[in-house]
Amino acid sequence: MIGAGERAAMEQTVRGAIANALATAGARADIDAVLTKLGWLDMLDGEPDSAVDIVFGALGAADATATALDDVVAAALGHKPRADLAVLLPRFATWNPPGRIDAGDVHAQGLATGRAATAAELLVVCGAESEPGSVIVPATAAETEAVRGVDPAAGLRAVRVHGRASGATRLDPIAWQSALALGRRAVARQIAGASRAMLDLARTHAMERVQFGRPIARFQAVRHRLAEALVAVEALEAALTAAQEDPNSDTAALAKAIAGRTAHTVARHCQQVLAGIGFTAEHSFHRFLKRALALEGLFGSADAIVLDVGRRLLAARRVPTLIEL
Amino acid sequence: MGDSHVTGDLADYRAELRAWLDANRERLAPRFPPPGTLDDHVAQMQRVKSILFDAGWMQLGWPERVGGRGGSPMLRTELGAALAARELVDSGLFSLVEVLAPTLIDFASPELAADVVPRLLSGAELWCQGFSEPESGSDLASLRCRAVPEGGDPRSAAKWVISGQKVWTSLAQFADRCVLLTRTGPADSRHRGITAFFVDMNSPGITVAPLEMLNGEHEFAEVFFDDVVVSADRMLGALNGGWAVAMSILPYERSSCFWQRIAFLYRRLERLVEIAPNDDRAAEIVGDAYVQLYALRARSRATQHRLADTGTIGAETSIDKVLVATAEQVTYDAVRRLVPGLIELDDSAAGEVWRGEYLYSRAATIYGGTAEVQRNIIARRLLELGSDE
Repeated sequence: MIGAGERAAMEQTVRGAIANALATAGARADIDAVLTKLGWLDMLDGEPDSAVDIVFGALGAADATATALDDVVAAALGHKPRADLAVLLPRFATWNPPGRIDAGDVHAQGLATGRAATAAELLVVCGAESEPGSVIVPATAAETEAVRGVDPAAGLRAVRVHGRASGATRLDPIAWQSALALGRRAVARQIAGASRAMLDLARTHAMERVQFGRPIARFQAVRHRLAEALVAVEALEAALTAAQEDPNSDTAALAKAIAGRTAHTVARHCQQVLAGIGFTAEHSFHRFLKRALALEGLFGSADAIVLDVGRRLLAARRVPTLIEL
Repeated sequence: MGDSHVTGDLADYRAELRAWLDANRERLAPRFPPPGTLDDHVAQMQRVKSILFDAGWMQLGWPERVGGRGGSPMLRTELGAALAARELVDSGLFSLVEVLAPTLIDFASPELAADVVPRLLSGAELWCQGFSEPESGSDLASLRCRAVPEGGDPRSAAKWVISGQKVWTSLAQFADRCVLLTRTGPADSRHRGITAFFVDMNSPGITVAPLEMLNGEHEFAEVFFDDVVVSADRMLGALNGGWAVAMSILPYERSSCFWQRIAFLYRRLERLVEIAPNDDRAAEIVGDAYVQLYALRARSRATQHRLADTGTIGAETSIDKVLVATAEQVTYDAVRRLVPGLIELDDSAAGEVWRGEYLYSRAATIYGGTAEVQRNIIARRLLELGSDE
């Protein structure tokens, strides 16, 4: 594990490089190229936990779009990540493997990052959660279509796969659980970055916006909304730290659930503080709001995870503490 | 129990502690049927403290100069949490040690601290905290209970005379001593004119009038001081330095006390999943409470490690306070929603326990600084939104 100082320096480098690219090229900036230049794949190989935290936190904070999630999942599944290998993600709001193998054919349906539009191959996880397998199919076996949806800039694609399942390999269930956990942490970290960005925007606005002869930040009703938002963001960041210190399926699932709840709470309070300006296209708030909505559905929504967690607590009649001092 | 725990690994300590508690479960278990009165719970806590003191556990994490055995304060946090998780003591009562002993250790004369702290740890004594007044709740700096130097000179006085009233003083009717905040400066001197004293509760002139809470218990009281004489060597901290004494409690209240409360809430949620229906509505409600408790636990863990690493925590713990209050209320709301009638109608022992705790949980956003005061602190100190005036 890298030290706090080194980590802070890396974080600054990554955030600076992304900010530069966005300042130069705007929405057309090639963030994947920026990450490649920063040595993203080496970071992911050497220090996956820190790499995921730093890069996805930076993507969220800048509302930047990249396809690095494909690398995270591919690596966790034991494949060497490469720019021409895309990954089929579970369908929106769910986390079951997106494919199944039936009489030697693979059938799959799910989401993908923008990489699926150009990659030569697609990695598809198939089967039940308890007994998964994986198969790499050529891009020609996949129909992919851009999803506009709430956040066209997220670059998500809807994907269907029908093809021969040649070369399918059995997958250790642990590998799928690890990929799911790391994917959840990546997305949760990105949501945390976006949540803090929304709060920063609302705070700045509250300090500058003058009504009734004073900045609206002086009004307790406004202050308490921003305080609520900060409480939520800090709790999410603590859950992400815990998921890094005690990495397992449960801590990752909880971090992802808390991320969804947090984004909702933060967006609600910050949008109210931003009021009219937050409803315009010119103010950047809406981009973070929309990105958070899109990310919320990757690897299971908060509601779906909370339901799953609750079912397991009731089935076991036990409440595990999960983390200790 | 070996001395290795003073410097050793926290996980090893936790394992040995839990094994010892499980082995001594019979001896430590409450001697009264639930729900028990406040008197029962106080007596149980003192009995458990005495057993733990004799076995050496109670002294871990406290400095040697007050009869402790040294080591990280996290050792005592683990102890309180383990007791709460086993329902051996009332976690709220037990964790009062955390807001009382450090005050004496940091602000009393070394002789006084060495004399009295072991009595608190061993269960021989029980203390209370005289802060709030009828006109001073959230605005603590406006307190008026007055201390006057005998002879008129505060520098040379051998005795001080205290007059005034405190309220919401938890366990005052059981207490042997009181950490008391008094006004020693001019009436409008706010936090600059407050001095703390360590007062014997059997001093002439003290009257305790317990207040009945909405759950039927008498946990707190009004305390009247009528020309109560206290020796000058019982002053805690500097003359007019009482605000620092009051604020010094925060790090322990916001770390160790919260971790013990969290352990208690996990156990109560476990009791709920034992009796809740096994359906999807229950799963959503229980899952939601669990997620909030877990986020709080993650936050609180980070806070305690920061305290252990840096020796200090501050305004950022208002976030922990908001989270713990919210999680407690969500947990008991879940009980009410999932077992209709349990809180409202059930006169069985279990019903009495849940009802008492449910009603008590309504105060979680009030005591220890209201939810609104916490949000004010978060806005001013953490978000740096400037003054609200």
